[in-house]
Amino acid sequence: MRLLLLLCGWLLSAPVMAGAPIVAAASSLQFALEEAAQQFTQQTGQALRLNFGSSGNFRRQIAQGAPFELFLSANEGYVQGLYDEGHVDDAGVIYARGRLAWVQPVGRYDQPDEQTPLAGVEEAIAALEEGQRLRIAIASPEHAPYGVAAQEVLQKAGLWETSEPLRVQGENVSQAMQFALSDEARGGLVAYSLAVAPALSGRSETVLIPETWHTPLRQRMVLTPQATRAAHAFYEWLQQPEAKAIFDTYGFSTD
Amino acid sequence: MDWSALSVSLRLAAFTCLFLLPLGIWWGRRLATTSFRGKGLCEALIALPLVLPPTVLGFYLLQQFGRDAPLGSAWAALTGGGLNFTFSGILLASVIANLPFAIQPVQRAFEHVPANLREAAWCSGLSPWQTLWRIELPLVWPGILSAAALTFAHTLGEFGVILLVGGAIDGETRTLSIAIYDRVQAFDEQGAANMSALLLVTSLATLGLVYGLAGKRRWSRG
Amino acid sequence: MGSLASAGGHVDDLKVTAQQDGPIPLNASFCCAPGELLALVGPSGSGKTTLLRTIAGLYQPEQGRVSCAGAEWFWAQEGQRRSLPPQARRIGMVFQDYALFPHLTALQNVQLAMGHLPRVQRLEQATQWLSRVRLQGLEARYPSELSGGQRQRVALARALAREPQALLLDEPFSAVDQVTRRRLQRELALLRQHISIPIILVTHDLDEATALADQICVLHNGVSLQQGTPEALFRRPASPLVARLLDRHNVFSGEVVETNAGRRLQWGEWRLEVAEGLDRVELGKPLAWYLPPSDIVLHRRGRPSQGERENPVAATVSEMVVLGGMTSISLRVSHQDMLRFDIATHAAKRNQLRLGERVHVSLLAEGIHLMPEQQMHMAPYNKRNLL
Repeated sequence: MRLLLLLCGWLLSAPVMAGAPIVAAASSLQFALEEAAQQFTQQTGQALRLNFGSSGNFRRQIAQGAPFELFLSANEGYVQGLYDEGHVDDAGVIYARGRLAWVQPVGRYDQPDEQTPLAGVEEAIAALEEGQRLRIAIASPEHAPYGVAAQEVLQKAGLWETSEPLRVQGENVSQAMQFALSDEARGGLVAYSLAVAPALSGRSETVLIPETWHTPLRQRMVLTPQATRAAHAFYEWLQQPEAKAIFDTYGFSTD
Repeated sequence: MDWSALSVSLRLAAFTCLFLLPLGIWWGRRLATTSFRGKGLCEALIALPLVLPPTVLGFYLLQQFGRDAPLGSAWAALTGGGLNFTFSGILLASVIANLPFAIQPVQRAFEHVPANLREAAWCSGLSPWQTLWRIELPLVWPGILSAAALTFAHTLGEFGVILLVGGAIDGETRTLSIAIYDRVQAFDEQGAANMSALLLVTSLATLGLVYGLAGKRRWSRG
Repeated sequence: MGSLASAGGHVDDLKVTAQQDGPIPLNASFCCAPGELLALVGPSGSGKTTLLRTIAGLYQPEQGRVSCAGAEWFWAQEGQRRSLPPQARRIGMVFQDYALFPHLTALQNVQLAMGHLPRVQRLEQATQWLSRVRLQGLEARYPSELSGGQRQRVALARALAREPQALLLDEPFSAVDQVTRRRLQRELALLRQHISIPIILVTHDLDEATALADQICVLHNGVSLQQGTPEALFRRPASPLVARLLDRHNVFSGEVVETNAGRRLQWGEWRLEVAEGLDRVELGKPLAWYLPPSDIVLHRRGRPSQGERENPVAATVSEMVVLGGMTSISLRVSHQDMLRFDIATHAAKRNQLRLGERVHVSLLAEGIHLMPEQQMHMAPYNKRNLL
């Protein structure tokens, strides 16, 4: 009985984190933003609540009134859309430019080559004719900017239709990364920032896709009308050299 | 270990049980002992969350909870807050999704109480409330406990509806099951494993405790 | 053991009327005096349980009235209705399958019905009631630990512990075996000596009704056909239907005729003397009549009638069914009607009765009961019609 009461007491206590600003961030920022947030909290003592997912999904949720205070998208269009619809008060700022990369599971295939980064795709398509089904993973072009970029790249190389039977789509670019490193995949086109993250770099072989092959992934962030002072502070902090340095280490361009 | 997600999950399960148990007893008894027009439809509606894909339920609730929908705007007018992306929203969603788990076991238990037991109680001078308290509840107690256990365990595991309606806001609507999904996507396998193990142990402990209690006081039919 | 008088002083009959078209058709009326036991008999579906539940307050027909001990318990007419709930009526009800509370001991079951007594008295009184139904020593047992007969006694004790104004029994002995049933019937008969409230017993067992009841009310499809003492019903059923429901045979078709010697009942080739009722009947109109089997007297072999016997009739032995110590004899008369009666098997042997043999019987004039408003709607003695 006493145990039950203790349990009840703990359950009914409000969450300690209440009040920390809620940040919605594109999945490509999974590791970069966590590190940045840690730094910020260390310096200012202000905790943050980070949510990662596809930019398109967050854009929809914010339009529906989700309580996010800061939105870091993987493109510009979603932020622009929110601004046009009047859900946010300004068009935000560009905080980084992302890069697309080809990743494949480590040690399984020939090392990818910077000159022919899509060689893996071509190999998989050729293997299909012999009855082998090796998957190519991308993020969903419907709500992930990295997915849009991947589509552009494949279309430009004339591989979009032929790779169709092999493509698997992740709901966001993190999930795409997981698919890309799975046993059934030949590889995938995902965010470079994920591939070079210390947690993952040992699991994949990766090579950059030339930026000219797709619309540049200019990543824009914006404060929402619910933003508290703490959120504003983080927003400002992310535009400082310190934050930029963190983004740089994860392969983003911040010039 | 995502402690705030654990707290959200446990609070969600506890409050869902708190609201649903009286409702389950009331409606379980009503469905078992009376017949009325539309009873079949009523039972079908209650059973719907059992077969409906959670995402379908989540989709409809997401729509109805929006500020422009009748339910959402009524809620906003009453409380000043929204339903989507809030704890209240996922609590309401959880209550709806758990209706069959809370009502059906209780209904079955009341159905097993012979009608003439109630009548015998009335003829012996007990009022309907006294009959409920002294005759029916002691006999259906295992059913009520099942309902509580199932509701609690099912809520801990609820994913699709909560994700759609709640948006996985840390400390507010991100439950443990969602946090596990998150950790997997973040390639934090250890974190996911820890939380999965905890959920498993908590569910088993809940069920074990509840069925252990029920086993001690099971009345055989006279 | 004190006697149970109704609370409130003035003691009066239990009077019941009920009418409705559906869902269960009812058109019944009966009454039971305090201290009397009235048995409601009839085939299943005749509404007897519904009527019992009406008295208890568990069912409200569209129209009717129930009053007991001078108080009106139920009144309904033309859409208006006043009904006391079962709790307020102070009735004791014994259900067919005991309806004991499985999570309470026998003692607690009985105590539950004693809400009208102060708490301090309940334990002692409940123990007393259980010993009155011969269950002393078993107070702490749960229903699952008791036999069928013991459970029924607890149910009876619980009903009586309420100190009710009427005792209602719904086929209380049908769920137990024959031996237990006889014991329980005996105990009920004994208990009755100390009860002066009306008792209503619903049963489909005619023998039980005959053994226990002061009055029997015959029901069929919700209609109360006749109420009277068992003898009255068995000697003077109101109609062939009542006779059939009471499993009486010897219902025949006849006609009253005028002869030199006065009025007689014409039955086939015979003209029968009847003790009473002939004057009230229209001449020449076919009517139904009945004769109890006890009023059929077999002539001794070798001593045929010489005019000094009443209503002598010749017939052929058509069927002899030996059922233990009694033999059921069916005699076919010339116009194909069948007389049926029982005699002791040893008497049958003594008379050397055999199938196909021609015998003579006397039909006692006192026993012949005329049913002038009724017609026989059955073909003479067709077994199928009697089912």
